[in-house]
Amino acid sequence: MAGMDTFAERLTRTIARGTSRRSLLAKLGLGMTGAAAFPVLPVARAATHPEGPAHQTVTSGTIQDPGDRTTCDYWRYCAIDGFLCTCCGGAVNQCPPGTEMSPITWIGTCTNPADNRAYIISYNDCCGTSSCGQCLCNRNEGDRPQVRTQSNNDYNWCLGTGSSVYNCSTAVIVGVALDHPR
Amino acid sequence: MTVRIRLLPILGLALIGAAPGTMPGVPDAEQATADYMLKCQGCHRPDGSGDDRSNPPMRGMVARFLTVPGGREFLGRVPGVATTNLDDARLAQLLNWTLYRFDAGHVPRDFHPYTPAEVGSLRQNPLRLDRQAVRARLVARFAQTDQF
Repeated sequence: MAGMDTFAERLTRTIARGTSRRSLLAKLGLGMTGAAAFPVLPVARAATHPEGPAHQTVTSGTIQDPGDRTTCDYWRYCAIDGFLCTCCGGAVNQCPPGTEMSPITWIGTCTNPADNRAYIISYNDCCGTSSCGQCLCNRNEGDRPQVRTQSNNDYNWCLGTGSSVYNCSTAVIVGVALDHPR
Repeated sequence: MTVRIRLLPILGLALIGAAPGTMPGVPDAEQATADYMLKCQGCHRPDGSGDDRSNPPMRGMVARFLTVPGGREFLGRVPGVATTNLDDARLAQLLNWTLYRFDAGHVPRDFHPYTPAEVGSLRQNPLRLDRQAVRARLVARFAQTDQF
């Protein structure tokens, strides 16, 4: 019993000698700051947004061409199958830097909700660097089976470019469709 | 003087007749333009230029097929034409429009525009894998008659 008493006394004296009386406050403060800062770390942000980083809204600025071009709901994307160049450093009609726009494209029509007319849309792919990986959009309206090669969008349309590596897709208006398209 | 004045309206009419807006066998050029965009342009390019690796050029080229035997039939049987999902009337119009739009200079003087019936019968028998060989033979044929 006396041994235990001696042991406890030595332990207490060792701690008292090795620590200051205010160190508890310092350690508590450090812990509180750390706990407050933890959600700001990138790890925590990724955990709370599993769908990926949010993109800033990109609009045309005119009511004739409504919608957010970084979302799959934008009217021109009605037949798209791929990553939206607007989310990849490019634009709805422009390739990101370092990529090359394919001259050979998948062409379809989409209805503009502003005037209810069908517009002819050319989905030029951007090629040359590996997949962008942002804003995947796969709507495929008017897509045809692969036996109709010229109307199927599951193919890699990076044709006629220096590289056939796919990066992202644009949606360029090339004309106005007539009343009875097929 | 009076003769000249009388001639002017006739000259005007002649000019209208030769205007680029009127193409034989193309009743609705606007429709043909839209059909070209939807069915052809994606591969053959907006200006018909194409390339020699993927899609053959049509600009300055396509009407030359009409000058060699079998060429007229080839243009109706080549897969991109024959298997396009347009009815015979719109396909015939699109074919005629393509000839005048991209290669008016080579359209023969005695050219009769494709009719829906002719296109309808040609597309019943589309070319498949033999398209490249047939095309190469025809190109070699009209290359022989080059005036350059």
